[in-house]
Amino acid sequence: MKTLIVEIIEPKRLGELVTASRKFCDQPDIVAVGSGQLQGSYGQSYQTELVVGSNLVLPLVNLIKDNGYEVVLLSATTFGTSLAGPLAVGLSAPVISEVTGITDDRIIETPMYGGKALARYKANCKPLILTIRRKYFESDMLDGTAATVPLGIGPEAVNLVGEQEEKAEGIPLEDAEVIVTGGRGVGSPDNFSLLREMAHLFAKGAVGASRGAVDEGWAPPSLQIGQTGKIVAPAVYFAVGVSGASQHLAGIVNSKCVVAINKDEEANIFNRARFGIVCDYKKAVPEIIRALKEEA
Amino acid sequence: MHIVALAKVVPDYEVPSGDFELANNRAHARYKRMIGLYDENALETGVQLKEKYSGTLTVISYGTEDDVPVLRKALAMGADKLLLVTGKSDDAFVSAANLKMAVQKLEHVDLILAGQQSADMDRGLVHGMVAQMLGHPFIPQVSSIEHDSGQWKVDQITETGVRKLAFTGTALLSITSVPGNIPRIPAVRDIFAAKKKPVDKLAPEGCGQMDLTELSVEIPKLTSICEFLPVDDFSSMAKTLLRKLKEERYI
Repeated sequence: MKTLIVEIIEPKRLGELVTASRKFCDQPDIVAVGSGQLQGSYGQSYQTELVVGSNLVLPLVNLIKDNGYEVVLLSATTFGTSLAGPLAVGLSAPVISEVTGITDDRIIETPMYGGKALARYKANCKPLILTIRRKYFESDMLDGTAATVPLGIGPEAVNLVGEQEEKAEGIPLEDAEVIVTGGRGVGSPDNFSLLREMAHLFAKGAVGASRGAVDEGWAPPSLQIGQTGKIVAPAVYFAVGVSGASQHLAGIVNSKCVVAINKDEEANIFNRARFGIVCDYKKAVPEIIRALKEEA
Repeated sequence: MHIVALAKVVPDYEVPSGDFELANNRAHARYKRMIGLYDENALETGVQLKEKYSGTLTVISYGTEDDVPVLRKALAMGADKLLLVTGKSDDAFVSAANLKMAVQKLEHVDLILAGQQSADMDRGLVHGMVAQMLGHPFIPQVSSIEHDSGQWKVDQITETGVRKLAFTGTALLSITSVPGNIPRIPAVRDIFAAKKKPVDKLAPEGCGQMDLTELSVEIPKLTSICEFLPVDDFSSMAKTLLRKLKEERYI
């Protein structure tokens, strides 16, 4: 099936979409968004430096219609979300968002009810638009670089005034092997320093936050983990003072081992945990830090 | 300034996974109904804009008449009027077409807000569809909004930080949750006042559905079995935990 990827130039995001595209074709075409070299090998490669999705809807509708694309793949990110609904209307096409699985016979799986249920769909017409949830498809290695041709763009309805990158301490959450996440149970922004100290004792450790902690203003939105934050897949995920709402669990479903530290033994997080520690985290975390330092 | 906020009534999204049940492929009807998690952030944002710019706020919802008592919370929070398009479809196209129809019934709209996604279907698609149907730009994940000299200035949360955007005219913005838009708890007098605010109902518009077949909806089985570590000696607990993580090759 003739497949088009539309994605920001970022190797892991691109790689995951390339892997997903293998369910539909051998080599997808691409609209690469942003500046810089495009990694990987594609059929036809287009590029635009415009990163505001709403300015790309019309050119993409025209491109998809003119070239007869049958599948359009986006990531389930701010960028992909900005395009999925508008493209579906512009193309009168079915769209499935937050895709977590595609079977060999092209049945599409997507969660509902904050991950408490899983729905399976079959599309009956083309083109089909999919947004792929991060970390559910292993990233393709993307060998080499591709030459691109510019994508023609019309007038811009939305102006990009500026971009502020939040510099996270240490490594990005998506690449972390160990994540120490604080929830509302952590109690204050100052207490996150304890979690930071623990995370940084692991070789590839990072600190995350639940939606509750972000809503309290204890951590920036860029650290939010969950269905509407970052989707992560570390080897070990420490959930400290995190209750375990289904929306949070949806963001850690691919974590290999969850360690839950919570005073409430009835907390839902223990249903997802491999190891549980029922106590005040202020007693447990300093001891884990001490043990890590002794081993270092 | 006339602001519209889209809101959907959904089954209780805080029901723990272990207690969650389906009936006919949807959440069991016994669960309490409430305004969607992120729709409340959009409503709060709408109320703040109304207060800041002396505007009016209309809430539009697509759902059943049973949703009206739940949606009164939006009126108690500060919205001026509720417009309900009656209908039961779960289809994103149908929801979007009916919301679009309701927006077009209003005389003038300056800005349309919506939660970043519903708290039941979790699609995050309907608002973008409504925008495209209306011919307006759609900007998702917006955390703050200002109006200055005829121009809207908004902050959009991305995976790497914050993007500052500007536009003129009407747009549809999906609102993400940030400390600044935690929904207010209405005062008792506002709850009583909401009972007198206007609620208009519109019949749904006939429109086609997305060409998709829903094959199944199932509750995934949780396989994790938690091993609780004893906490009578925290030093020993910490060493045991690290040893087990190493033995099982997690670290």
